[in-house]
Amino acid sequence: MNRKTLVMGLAMAGLSFAASHRNGPLLLEDQTANLNDLYVFRSWEPGRTDRVVMSMSVQGFQNPDNGPSYYKFSDSVNYRFNVNNSRGLDGVADMQIDIVFKTELRPNPTFVSYFGKIDNIDSPGIFLYQTFAVVVRNQKTGVTTYFNADKNGHALSVAPPNLGPNTTPNYETNLGAKSVFELSNGWRIFAGPRDDAFYFDSGATFDTLNFRAPAPVLSGAADQGQGAAAPAAVDGFAGYNISLIAIEAPITELTASGSAPTDPKDPNAKIGVWATTNRQYVTVRPSPGEPMNFGEWSQVDRVGNPLTVEALIPLPMKDYWNRSEPANDKQFAQFIGDPFFASGVLNGVFKLPVPPAPRNDLLGVFVPDITRIDLTIPPVTSAKQSRLGPLGGDNAGWPFGGRRPGDDVVDIGFRALAGVLVPGFQNAPPLGDGVNSNDVPLLDRFPFHAAPHAGYSHSQIDGTNGRGKATN
Amino acid sequence: MKNQFLAFLFCVGTAAAQTAGSDDRLLAAFQDRALSDQAQHMKTDERIKLYEAMVQGQPGRPHYRNLLASAYIQKVRETTDFSYLDRANSVLDGVLNEDSNEYEALRLKLEVELEKHNFKKVAELATRMTKNAPNDPWNWGALGDAQLELGHYDAAADAYQRMVVLRPDLASYNRAAWFRFLAGDQPGAIAIMKQAISAGSSSSENVAWCLVELGKLHFKAGQVEDASKAYQSALRVFPNYHPALAGLGMVEASMGEYQAAIVHYKRAQASTPLPDYAAVLYDLYTTTGDAPAAMKQKQMVEMMDKAGQAAKEKANRNLALIFADHDWNVKHALELAAAELEVRGDIYTYDALAWAQLKNGQLAEAERSSARALSMNTPEPMLLFHAGMIAAANGKKAEAAKLLRRALELNPKFDLHQAPIAQSKLKELAS
Repeated sequence: MNRKTLVMGLAMAGLSFAASHRNGPLLLEDQTANLNDLYVFRSWEPGRTDRVVMSMSVQGFQNPDNGPSYYKFSDSVNYRFNVNNSRGLDGVADMQIDIVFKTELRPNPTFVSYFGKIDNIDSPGIFLYQTFAVVVRNQKTGVTTYFNADKNGHALSVAPPNLGPNTTPNYETNLGAKSVFELSNGWRIFAGPRDDAFYFDSGATFDTLNFRAPAPVLSGAADQGQGAAAPAAVDGFAGYNISLIAIEAPITELTASGSAPTDPKDPNAKIGVWATTNRQYVTVRPSPGEPMNFGEWSQVDRVGNPLTVEALIPLPMKDYWNRSEPANDKQFAQFIGDPFFASGVLNGVFKLPVPPAPRNDLLGVFVPDITRIDLTIPPVTSAKQSRLGPLGGDNAGWPFGGRRPGDDVVDIGFRALAGVLVPGFQNAPPLGDGVNSNDVPLLDRFPFHAAPHAGYSHSQIDGTNGRGKATN
Repeated sequence: MKNQFLAFLFCVGTAAAQTAGSDDRLLAAFQDRALSDQAQHMKTDERIKLYEAMVQGQPGRPHYRNLLASAYIQKVRETTDFSYLDRANSVLDGVLNEDSNEYEALRLKLEVELEKHNFKKVAELATRMTKNAPNDPWNWGALGDAQLELGHYDAAADAYQRMVVLRPDLASYNRAAWFRFLAGDQPGAIAIMKQAISAGSSSSENVAWCLVELGKLHFKAGQVEDASKAYQSALRVFPNYHPALAGLGMVEASMGEYQAAIVHYKRAQASTPLPDYAAVLYDLYTTTGDAPAAMKQKQMVEMMDKAGQAAKEKANRNLALIFADHDWNVKHALELAAAELEVRGDIYTYDALAWAQLKNGQLAEAERSSARALSMNTPEPMLLFHAGMIAAANGKKAEAAKLLRRALELNPKFDLHQAPIAQSKLKELAS
């Protein structure tokens, strides 16, 4: 076929219905508003243990080398931390902390978004420059505090991506750590790319539960903490970055009483936190004299605990769940109180005995779906943390002491489902996926998530820094 | 995403779980989560390959077939190759033959029917689906799209408003933006289209599509530099995207950079040979004095028309406009436009009909159709130009001058072929 015939052939193939209509995209995957994980924990950074860190991650599975624009926060999304500190934690926000981004495209002679030597957060080579404002809203007092600069007047800027040693040398020292800003009220904040602290042998699990031995029942060395031997397991999240927003605030500013509780029985001992993303809706019809009318914020996603029902809600209900408030989560209790994973998989597939429904142990964690933290539990330094949190004798982790970046929520979740939290139930085996730690070490300082993997070092063959494949 | 992975592990009562009873069903669902996560990072062709393999492996599972159909539909968006639409359609029909209530398939079917221009059918189906699943923004979007094409603007605005309140995102914002433009609010349309772009999508084609729309909105208002920037951004986001190439060509043509315009239109045409591109290339070659190349483009338009006739396609307002614009076969132009009116009744269809009626000497009919085309007060130079020419033909000089002036005020170079005609008619009316 010569070229002309080919063109004509194509023309004809394309012609049926070729008269156009406005086919706006409906097949949509919403990336920038898609929340991944929420972390809430007491800081173990020396001198700052009287503070709580809250962080949310968005836009998972970022390829570190995804230039030239890399990943950015959306200007049209309101990223929100919701804090519930009263009424026995009913899932209603008593405090909201909003982060709103603004993108500035600086004069750019190139086709790339970052260029030259970027060795400080004000480098002119950051062509795609994002800043943000923080709005702290106390629902009880109605007091709203607004910050768009740090205590020294520097703009709250988003950390640039980690391109590699040529463009972003000494990334963490020059750019990562420098993007931690202290506000005039003493809070600290960070927004930018980080390593994804989540770890999970997703590949094996989804190959029809084809766990790599000795998983899924771990014992001895394979069930130990960081660095333990389960060499076959593969961390499906290794080598990928996420976008993180992290806030560090004094405990006294998050409790209803304004004091730091010391007695677990104190009604102020616990707070609950969840994250939401919100976008403004618009009026479709123009109104006279008002060329544009952006309306109320509308919630598009939320995350409370790491193991939520989101993906399991039948398709027509999924958006409904994402839009709904934790305060109304009782409507989902029928599903949570009788999880199919327990009866169908653990019992059905693996023939393990499981506790009978209704599972009040799970309802206590997931309804409402907020991460609860007991503020009276002192933080534990990283060396002494157990990846299994309370199941490993370390109460400062998920699900009772909040959730730390290092908590093995997969193994904890497996075991919780198997009944380990059910009083008097003795049959829960030490389940796990075999991946027992993150691919890179966490920081011992705010924001705790490790520096982002560098684009230069990333490869699809052996991951980032050669560590993207097998980790223990 | 990992939430979804993990949520799955907890497996708290899906529809599947409630009805499953068999381990197979559950384990298959486990695989789905991994699949969707993997697929999110793939290009459309890679997705198609993957889903085809999945369907082959487990032909009994409707979910995989629906995923395959949705990848085919995305491919149609990217290439305008409608053979993929037929593939999507037959996959979905297969699913719906086995279970006529399969929700995912029904939802996708709406989009297939939209692409096939069965707007009345979509309006009916989508209305039913909004009753069964009122919280799914998709259904409201499809309903709004169908109502818009049918010219039921109030109903379209209601549906889009529901969609945007349920979920403000790229899909709902871009529709709200377009409605704003139709209803006469160009600045509002621009602002909301920018929101759509900022909201983003992991499908780069979706983002590029909105950037092209933004470019068009700017161009219609004569904001040529902004238009050019938007088209260039679209090409960066989704390389070689034919509507962005054509948009750049349009901008260049309006600035007298004819050779550059030809290059861009040729690239657009090589990617997707739409009759509109051939028509503009005809104009460009004519303007630059290359008669043989112009003739080839004209032949291409005629060839496409013949192919349409062979496929028993009666309605085609794009071809109607091309034929009427160039006085090539005005009788046929009228047939094509009149047939289109049976499919849809939006202002652009009335505009094409009005223009074809004028070219056929049906002045009174043209005036009536043109009034319908202007009923939304849309700041669209081409609609105003057509209306002005019709008013002039009907001897309404003052009205004609007003309409033509308005068209040229919006963008004095709104069209390579028609803008000079508008200008000379305006002079003629003034003399």
